[in-house]
Amino acid sequence: MGLFDRLAGWLGLKKEVNVLCLGLDNSGKTTIINQLKPSNAQAQDIVPTIGFSIEKFKTSSLSFTVFDMSGQGRYRNLWEHYYKEGQAIIFVIDSADKLRMVVAKEELDTLLNHSDIKHRRIPILFFANKMDVRDALSSVKVSQLLCLENIKDKPWHICATDALKGEGLQEGVDWLQDQIKTMRT
Amino acid sequence: MKLKVYRGTALMSESALLDLPSGLAAFFMDLHEPRVPAVAVASGPCVYVYKNLRPYFKFTLPGLEVNALEQDLWQQAREGQIDPVTLKEMLESIRKKVDVPLSVRSLHFLSLETEDMDDFLQLHKQQPIRRQTVITCIGTLKKSTADDDGVSCLVIGTESCHVYVLDPEAFLILSKMTLPAPPTMMDVTGQFDVEYRITVACRNGNIYVLRRESDKPKYCIELSSHPVGLVRVGKNVVVGCSDESLQSFTQKGKKLWKAVLPAPVTTMASMDLPARGFQAVLLGLANCEVQLYRDKNLLSTIKTPDVVTSICFGRYGREDGTLVMTTRKGGLMVKILKRTATFEDRDSAPGPPLAQSVRLNVPKKTKLYVDQTLRERENGAAMHGAFQMDLSRLRLAAAKAYVKALESSLAPMSASLTEPLKMNAVVQGLGPSFKLTLNVQNTAACRPVMNLAVSFLYDESLYRMRSPYMRIPLLVPGLIYPVETFVECTSDKGVSDIIKVFVLHEGKSSPLLTAHINMPVSEGLTLN
Repeated sequence: MGLFDRLAGWLGLKKEVNVLCLGLDNSGKTTIINQLKPSNAQAQDIVPTIGFSIEKFKTSSLSFTVFDMSGQGRYRNLWEHYYKEGQAIIFVIDSADKLRMVVAKEELDTLLNHSDIKHRRIPILFFANKMDVRDALSSVKVSQLLCLENIKDKPWHICATDALKGEGLQEGVDWLQDQIKTMRT
Repeated sequence: MKLKVYRGTALMSESALLDLPSGLAAFFMDLHEPRVPAVAVASGPCVYVYKNLRPYFKFTLPGLEVNALEQDLWQQAREGQIDPVTLKEMLESIRKKVDVPLSVRSLHFLSLETEDMDDFLQLHKQQPIRRQTVITCIGTLKKSTADDDGVSCLVIGTESCHVYVLDPEAFLILSKMTLPAPPTMMDVTGQFDVEYRITVACRNGNIYVLRRESDKPKYCIELSSHPVGLVRVGKNVVVGCSDESLQSFTQKGKKLWKAVLPAPVTTMASMDLPARGFQAVLLGLANCEVQLYRDKNLLSTIKTPDVVTSICFGRYGREDGTLVMTTRKGGLMVKILKRTATFEDRDSAPGPPLAQSVRLNVPKKTKLYVDQTLRERENGAAMHGAFQMDLSRLRLAAAKAYVKALESSLAPMSASLTEPLKMNAVVQGLGPSFKLTLNVQNTAACRPVMNLAVSFLYDESLYRMRSPYMRIPLLVPGLIYPVETFVECTSDKGVSDIIKVFVLHEGKSSPLLTAHINMPVSEGLTLN
């Protein structure tokens, strides 16, 4: 971090980062983004996203622009058009949906093998969401089922979260912020 | 016997069933919000409807006509006018001759031993006798809208060869149709208030198509073997038969195609993806495979750990393309179709390869070609005869020359058994002096040849030879012996001739072999 960056930080001009928020439908992407926004800007009702929506929020040193993509099957082919712009990826998993864990793995593998992602060292943050549900899998189990240990060439991190209460989100965003900072310097 | 409901990967609820179920259907029975579907379980003569995971309603099919004579007999038995033995005899006689069959109670009574009859009679004689049918298959039919969550009627096939359509709210019989045989499977399309088709496979091996406003089947498809599975794809009927074949018919009964399967069919279901406009047929086979056919082309094969006994494709939870299968040993498998899956037709039918239909760039027919073709067409027989005669003559001439060569040993190969020899000659030099080398080889396996000589015959006005007669040493089998001599051309007119070489056996006048050497023209000048 140079002097200019620090100066910009004091002046409230923060660095812009584009983040893609991906994951299956009903995994809680929009709820997570909603929780990360300042409390006066949060929406009350979360409805299924159509296509995608652009949300913004700030952390201590960065200004995030999030592409909150729709997870519905018919909109998932939109994802790849935004891979180029993304400087980080948030991948949300519904830990309570054991049946569709294979679908999440399939989509993750497609994402990692895409030509716009494959050769970039882009940080990926996994949110194992819905920890409040009684039969939810642990974050360790989720990372096993998604074979995350096979991701060798990208920094990744998995957090157990409960987006309704906002638990675990801050830890993940802090990690992401550190990663983006180290990437730039 | 239980009705189990699964959600995701976990069992959600279980309810005990009273009797062995023969069919199961899920349907919307009313328009109340929130929309909760009901489950209809057919067993025996009843349909049990479950809603919100609890028993909700029981519908019993109307009883069948009871034999009046039988009724009279039981009436008399109740009043004590006849004893069990007489009752049995009378019932036996009714069973044999009357066309209305006996009730289940009478049949049970007839099967009893004499000592048990009295107890049975005492126990049952107060109740009136009834004759009930049994449900064999069940389906659903949309009432008035084609929406996914539209209200549906239940369609029931019975052992008494009837098909009933039930009103979903009041459970009244809206329509009753009669078939020539008991139905075993059915497929229902359309809407009850508009137009519908009920395709029914019956126990006599035929398929009948029922329509609105007709209580008798309109069309009949006669199969060569019994149907095991029945699915409608568009307007056509696809049937899996017990002779390991998959056949397709139009609904008027015209056969479209037949595909041969690797194993007997255990179950069938349709695979419908309206979002992609994809329709195919899933087949469970006895060799632990599930195959996917679009028309008669095999698209995909899934190997399963056990024989699949039932298949259902559709929406499960949030996934549209889910395949749920149960196996013979009681397993439940769920497979989800990949979003990126593509189905490519692999045309398995043996036929002409694709390259055959590519047009070749054939040049235009010339007049000469046409004339020639015409001539060949008109005089074909004569031309063939002439060709065959010439061929025979050629063969004869060749054979004659060969015989002559053999007889006079004109060939450079000796065919005699005692002295098999081979010779070739090489001429070296530009002239007028040439070097002539004869390579002689004994081709026998082990016997040497002795007492041979070489003699030359030539035009003495042209050539002069240093030694026109030479003796050949003993020839060991296999080795090549070079015999050399010098020839001098005496003419300077630029002509050449043939020199004949004979290999002779001492004491015999006919040569063993002969070689003709074409001498080259002498190009050099004699130094005189």
